[in-house]
Amino acid sequence: MKLDCKHIWRELSNYLDGEISEEVRREVEAHVAQCKHCAALLDSTHNVLVLVADERRMELPAGFNARLRERLERELATSKPD
Amino acid sequence: MVEELTAKKEREYRLIDRVLGGHHEDFHELIAPYRRGVYLAAYDILQVPADAEEVAQEAFLKAFRGLREFRRESQFATWLFRIAVNEARMRLRRRREVSLESVFPDDEEGGDYTPTMLADWREIPSDALLREETRRFVREAIAALPERYREIITLRDVNGLNIAETAEILGISIGNTKVRLLRARLLLRDLFVERTNRKGKAQSQRGVTP
Repeated sequence: MKLDCKHIWRELSNYLDGEISEEVRREVEAHVAQCKHCAALLDSTHNVLVLVADERRMELPAGFNARLRERLERELATSKPD
Repeated sequence: MVEELTAKKEREYRLIDRVLGGHHEDFHELIAPYRRGVYLAAYDILQVPADAEEVAQEAFLKAFRGLREFRRESQFATWLFRIAVNEARMRLRRRREVSLESVFPDDEEGGDYTPTMLADWREIPSDALLREETRRFVREAIAALPERYREIITLRDVNGLNIAETAEILGISIGNTKVRLLRARLLLRDLFVERTNRKGKAQSQRGVTP
């Protein structure tokens, strides 16, 4: 079976996650090798996800950890887990 | 990798036992690895730093008070993120006046899906990836997503939780998680490309003006 563009879109996310069978993976790659639209869609989605993962390094608000600790300490001192 | 995970789990269980046994101060150590992630998840969902901080604090307090309810079938992280996502959702409900659900109906169970955002096929130029402005576009694109897509993107793609963990936190099936993730990612890409294109157009228009 040859996958058309629509199938590629549906598999795109699973492909990026490696959540597809070896057979479908090969089909996707064969299609993308000869369809520049799907290749661009795949590449650009991948690039966006790389950028999104980078958000992990976003700075916490100044004093976040200290305020959290303070609030927790009040709680830890006065109550206990149910 | 598996051994690492097991070691981490054992360490967490040990800390949980100590907290439950009265050593409350060990709770700080237990949650230390998750402070940033829980804040980020709350921020991605709420988009307001002060609200995100408050929700993160509430989530950790709830986790402490409810620690005895943590069943050790799941990861501590999964349990914690679930509390955080629920807190963020509640905050959003209170804040919201107009329901977004009517604009984005929950139709995940069926229907043939066609991405509608494929008008622009351009690749995103890789040199654009490095710029500070690009990071702003990413943040704007995340902010422009409907709530349930922001949730799944922050769990899976910002915090790097796996599909099974993400499904558990959101309380949906693995299959629905994958479908929702696909839509969220395609829409996110579209929102991002929209922003980079808008900028490119503005630049080329300036370019032809003498």
